[in-house]
Amino acid sequence: MSTKAMNIVAVTTSLSEDSTTLKLTDRILASAASAGESVSIDVSAEVINIRNHATALTDMTLTGFRSEELEAAFATIAAADAIVTVAPVYKAAPVGLHTLFWQLMDDKALSRKPVLIASTGGTARHSLAGDAVLRPMLSYLKGIVVPTTVFAATDDWGTVEGGRALTARIRQAGEELVSLTATIIGAGDDDLAEAADLDSRASAGSGATPGAAANRGIVDEFDPANVTPFAQLLEG
Amino acid sequence: MEFGIFTIGDVTTDPTDGTTVSEHQRIKNTVELAKKAEEVGLDVFATGQHHNPPFVAPANPPVLLGNIAAQTSTLELSTATTLITTTDPVRIAEDYSYAQHLSDGRISLIMGRGNTGPVYPWFGKDIRAGIPLAVENYNLLYRLWREKNLDWEGKFRTPLNGFTVTPTPLDEVPPFVWHGSIRSPEIAEQAAYYGDGFFHNNIFWPTSHTARMVQLYRQRYEYYGHGKASQAIVGLGGQVFMRKNSQDAVREFRPYFDNAPVYGHGPSLEDFSTQTPLTVGSPQQVIERTLSFRDWAGDYQRQLFLIDHAGLPQKTVLEQLDLLGEEVIPVLREEFAKGRPADVPDAPTHASLVARHQEGRDPIPGGGEGSRAFEDRQARAAEAAKEGADQA
Repeated sequence: MSTKAMNIVAVTTSLSEDSTTLKLTDRILASAASAGESVSIDVSAEVINIRNHATALTDMTLTGFRSEELEAAFATIAAADAIVTVAPVYKAAPVGLHTLFWQLMDDKALSRKPVLIASTGGTARHSLAGDAVLRPMLSYLKGIVVPTTVFAATDDWGTVEGGRALTARIRQAGEELVSLTATIIGAGDDDLAEAADLDSRASAGSGATPGAAANRGIVDEFDPANVTPFAQLLEG
Repeated sequence: MEFGIFTIGDVTTDPTDGTTVSEHQRIKNTVELAKKAEEVGLDVFATGQHHNPPFVAPANPPVLLGNIAAQTSTLELSTATTLITTTDPVRIAEDYSYAQHLSDGRISLIMGRGNTGPVYPWFGKDIRAGIPLAVENYNLLYRLWREKNLDWEGKFRTPLNGFTVTPTPLDEVPPFVWHGSIRSPEIAEQAAYYGDGFFHNNIFWPTSHTARMVQLYRQRYEYYGHGKASQAIVGLGGQVFMRKNSQDAVREFRPYFDNAPVYGHGPSLEDFSTQTPLTVGSPQQVIERTLSFRDWAGDYQRQLFLIDHAGLPQKTVLEQLDLLGEEVIPVLREEFAKGRPADVPDAPTHASLVARHQEGRDPIPGGGEGSRAFEDRQARAAEAAKEGADQA
């Protein structure tokens, strides 16, 4: 059973139009698409720019209240097969607006989803910031972070060597993301698909919620079919 | 359908003049609001239970409700909510029973788990056990109100041997119980299991979410055989500020909104009004908004409005009650009655509960014969017996 499609959602905090963060996002998505193509998987991509949710994120922090646009963004994440996170580094950590998005997400929201961490910064001194800050956070959300992370400093866009190294790293990370995702969703004609956990895909989906949340092994707790019978709660 | 107000008794500085009422004044104001609610024709007054500043809602609501009962004659007196997690169920059984006698049956309860973490340890409880506490404590309360010489043993409280609540509930019919929860499906399930009411305090939540919780409760209510899903007993919150002219309402309420303890300095009044039931405007706008709740919640039984928070002066709050009583509620009663199927029950009253009890129609927890829950239990028992036989 091989599916031929994979949906990657990039969560990007691009603070200006045409930022290097957005450029890096595009290159990673292009690289993932070409990695997919080589194993006959049609990779589609969506970009969520956190800048557009800045006010809603602050509101939610203060009130616990999720705006409709934020709900929609969380639903897009839930429906994704894989995630790419890209953010600029400020003072040795990805910019707070970006981490806030992940911090406000439901526990287990990234369950069974491969995640690629990428960051941008002025110099290579910042290169481990994404790993140090986001890897534990994304693991907490039950995401599966791929081993290779991508960091692009100003130099990487300007020098030949830097450009080559960055391209190689993007390719490596993109391949890791696509092959791991293919394994999990059982897609493509790669041998890896054999290892896919098909049972969990087949048994999910009794939920009434639209979207693909159900096929990620996340239980829709407000679906009457999934409720824990009260007699069981009473027994403790 | 019943209409009323609910308060959490917050003592908040009025942002327009920097004044703060004293606790004493806030408490007296609360009693005045309740009396006025009856005067202007509302059905329900409900108070929260609080143990921490800046709230002076009572730690034991029957104290306040008993006082109000003595000064009113028709007003239904409710909680919103009674903390079922940290309050000893034996005291809930006794104190609310007593208040029920004093008020001639005008007491009802909305059960809640409590919203601030520190409250739990103050009473020797663990917030992580919030749901199990709500489950066990309510089960004990349910039995205390219905059984004499009760022998009981649980996880969270000293055992009881041959215990009988005094006073026993009026006419042997306990106060009606609603279970309140924002986002715990277990509590919707609990309400459905017992055939009790379900109250969703939706004032900070988008309709889409509230609708799902209400649907979950309705469907499980039917599963347990207490009636059709459309007959389940549903209550909703609401939050309003009114002036004859809607621009005046917005202008006057904005500083209170912008500085309110819960959502102040966050979303704009306009965004919050779009995304939650908050309605700031003319009585007609409040009428239209409230009527729209039926579109997603179905025909329901109890509507409570929050009107007295965020430092609003008492005079202003009393004016809100006048508007509710004169212009809003009469229209809502009329409009909600239109197209309401005859088999959808009204909000329970002591009289209706006594009648139900005497006719032997009390809900059977977990579902009696003829319910799908009952059939499922039978099927499981048969399966277990077969397995046992196979093994033997």
